[in-house]
Amino acid sequence: MIGLWDTTGNEVVKALAAERRSAGGVASGLALTLVAVVEEKKVREAEAAATIAAAAHPCRLLIVVRSDLEGRSRLDAEIVVGGRLGPAEAVVMRMYGRLALHAESVVMPLLAPDVPVVTWWHEEPPHMIANDFLGVVADRRITDAALAPDPVAALRQRAVDYAPGDTDLTWTRITLWRTLVAGAFDTTEERVTGATIVAPKTDPTAALMSGWLQSRLGIVPTWEYSDRSPRMHSVQLECANGDCVTVTREENTALFSRTGQEDRYMPLPKRPVGDELAEELRRLDADQIYGEALGAMAGVTGLDAKPTSRVHVWKDPALAARAGAEAGAMAGPGGSAA
Amino acid sequence: MGNPLRTAQDRRLPRIPEPCALVIFGVTGDLSRKKLIPAVYDLANRGLLPPGFVVLGFARRDWGDGDFESLAYEAAKKGARTPWREDVWQRLASQFQFVPGSFDDDAAFDHLAATLDDLRERNGIPGNAAFYFSIPPAAFPLVLNQLARTGMADNAKSGGWRRVVVEKPFGNDLQTAISLNQLVDEVFTPQDVYRIDHYLGKETVQNIMALRFANSLFEPVWNSKYVDSVQITMAEDVGIGTRAAFYDASGAARDVLQNHLLQLLALVGMEEPTSFDPQEVRAEKLKVLRAISLPSDIAKGSVRGQYLPGWVAGERAVGYLEEKDIPSDSTTETYVAVRLGIQNRRWAEVPFYVRVGKRMPRRVTEIAILFKRAPHLPFDPADVEMLGHNQLVIRVQPDEGVVLKFGSKVPGTTMEVRDIAMDFQYGEAFTESSPEAYERLVLDVLVGDRTLFPDASEVEQSWRVIDPLEAAWADTKPDPYRAGEWGPRAADEMLAREGRAWRRA
Repeated sequence: MIGLWDTTGNEVVKALAAERRSAGGVASGLALTLVAVVEEKKVREAEAAATIAAAAHPCRLLIVVRSDLEGRSRLDAEIVVGGRLGPAEAVVMRMYGRLALHAESVVMPLLAPDVPVVTWWHEEPPHMIANDFLGVVADRRITDAALAPDPVAALRQRAVDYAPGDTDLTWTRITLWRTLVAGAFDTTEERVTGATIVAPKTDPTAALMSGWLQSRLGIVPTWEYSDRSPRMHSVQLECANGDCVTVTREENTALFSRTGQEDRYMPLPKRPVGDELAEELRRLDADQIYGEALGAMAGVTGLDAKPTSRVHVWKDPALAARAGAEAGAMAGPGGSAA
Repeated sequence: MGNPLRTAQDRRLPRIPEPCALVIFGVTGDLSRKKLIPAVYDLANRGLLPPGFVVLGFARRDWGDGDFESLAYEAAKKGARTPWREDVWQRLASQFQFVPGSFDDDAAFDHLAATLDDLRERNGIPGNAAFYFSIPPAAFPLVLNQLARTGMADNAKSGGWRRVVVEKPFGNDLQTAISLNQLVDEVFTPQDVYRIDHYLGKETVQNIMALRFANSLFEPVWNSKYVDSVQITMAEDVGIGTRAAFYDASGAARDVLQNHLLQLLALVGMEEPTSFDPQEVRAEKLKVLRAISLPSDIAKGSVRGQYLPGWVAGERAVGYLEEKDIPSDSTTETYVAVRLGIQNRRWAEVPFYVRVGKRMPRRVTEIAILFKRAPHLPFDPADVEMLGHNQLVIRVQPDEGVVLKFGSKVPGTTMEVRDIAMDFQYGEAFTESSPEAYERLVLDVLVGDRTLFPDASEVEQSWRVIDPLEAAWADTKPDPYRAGEWGPRAADEMLAREGRAWRRA
């Protein structure tokens, strides 16, 4: 491990190359570069998650922490090859001051040549990804609406700001749910006529589940608000012949019940973020099913037809703050994300 | 029609079998304890089993459900590759049932049939069942006849699918293989018979096809114009273990050459299939197996070996003849090297050297493609003295990966070219979490995907390669080699005669 304080981008590039040489081809097959945008207090959490994900997908991990935008420009970096961060080669960068607004100037030379770039925000998702160059440069973008103060609204914003290649970890969290629900219809040809989701009002997974059922089945599920569990509690589907299929979460298991059959329990564990991230990295192409579900959930159409790449839109928080102070004469750019 | 919640684009949703039962014959055996039960647990833990899933264990023990459960518990906990979760096991174990009985006991099979029928009502399993034969081949006819008698193998009668899973050995020679195949295909329908060759479930083996047919880099040189020879090695550091009776009757050629190695050879040598439809892949593999040619003089083109006492990995190892239950005059081989050819335009004149052995220096399975030397070398002969064949090596196990070996200049003021290896390796942790071969194959059986299972014609064709070898070897004695060596000297000489050498695997 090498720690560099108050350093420059070039020094970081050199130190990484030196570490790789001395480690002797530890990570010879790089599948991608993972850029993790993290706030300071979540760095450990992000490192742990990225370590799990890197075990399945050999990658170069670049963790970017941006803070203290008002202060002096400064870069601290820590380079780890084949150490505590697992098989990955990792650079943790802390950027302060105006440099934090130009994080890409440090990150770009560190991207592994000609392999896909995935950017993951382990913090509140950006309002417009086009404003963050680290998102513009990525082939895949992973947000986590659950980290926003209003997760459902944040998820809606993801639909407004959507470009193919975006996904949200909310979607990953319902893969197991979707597996159970879809499995119920492998052996029957019954048409589904209605659905009920029981979940807290603020649960983004329930919103996305509803969007998915809506886009696949053409029904509008009922969302029954309930605070009996902090996460989605149950999904129930009603069939044309009156049969019901219900999946109910109980701790780490799901109770699977179906009219005329014995109840059964299936595993429904809460996975660590690392596992979720690993699932995301498995596919680097756009997830159309997610796009459809997200569109149906937010009532936005044509998500699939949106351009796959964004154009960077410069947004200076200092200017915006100044403008705000001048009675909001300028709302700031950012509307032209497409 | 189909399930509206599933589309081909939604690749996050895993394939999950229909509600079904897995019936394991010989559930108390080695294979079942080491591989099968852990694989079932791992599948459950990954959430890949359907809501209605039952395991019925059949064996000749005077046991209650409880005894079986504790055996299964031990086995699963010991062999599981995914983290141990007691609640997953508890749920799975509640779906385990033990049916005691011997294979000639009509009442036991009637009881089994009744149990299966009973599942339909209780567990919503519409008659689907897979029968896993984890039993000695001698018992196959007995069990198959019982299944036929009770109608358990009948798709129409059961109202769902009925599949059978057979483990190697698939017979002992062509004749026995044909009669076994006929028997199995008669009781079940041919497309419901799954022959497990667990090598085909390995990630790297499947990767051979990806490497060859998804890239444009390798296929143009994948022929006799550029390839000098191919070496396929399967070395084990262990001895015969507790399989003395079986092993002494069959030997290395029947044990692994007939199945694993010929399957690897087929995957390396086959033409591009029209699609990845199981039938298309099988058609191409079969064509290669049919085109295999044996050495014109088998005595010269093959070497059999038998290990002597020696040292392997720092431990003393006894010789084959001293192993427990092996007759002291046994002529069974524990090592085989043979020079095969493939008679088609792509592979004309390219030798395929295939070797397998027990008590080798280390455990390794690999396929090495050795390319011809450059037709002209503009360098001084002294400069390229250390330059060997360019090689592409597919390491099947352990350390799954691909190595490309080529010449490169040695840094310095002189022009000196030497071999270097570019090593692609799946990360340690990656291979750890990737499904075990059995897990994958059991899931494929339950889902009904036949891509990775050889069919009767492949098995029979493989025996057509082995039978003449065995005939020529009759009444000969294998060459001795010391445990911990790369086989008998004769194998080295066989390649040396053709100006080649074995790669140190």
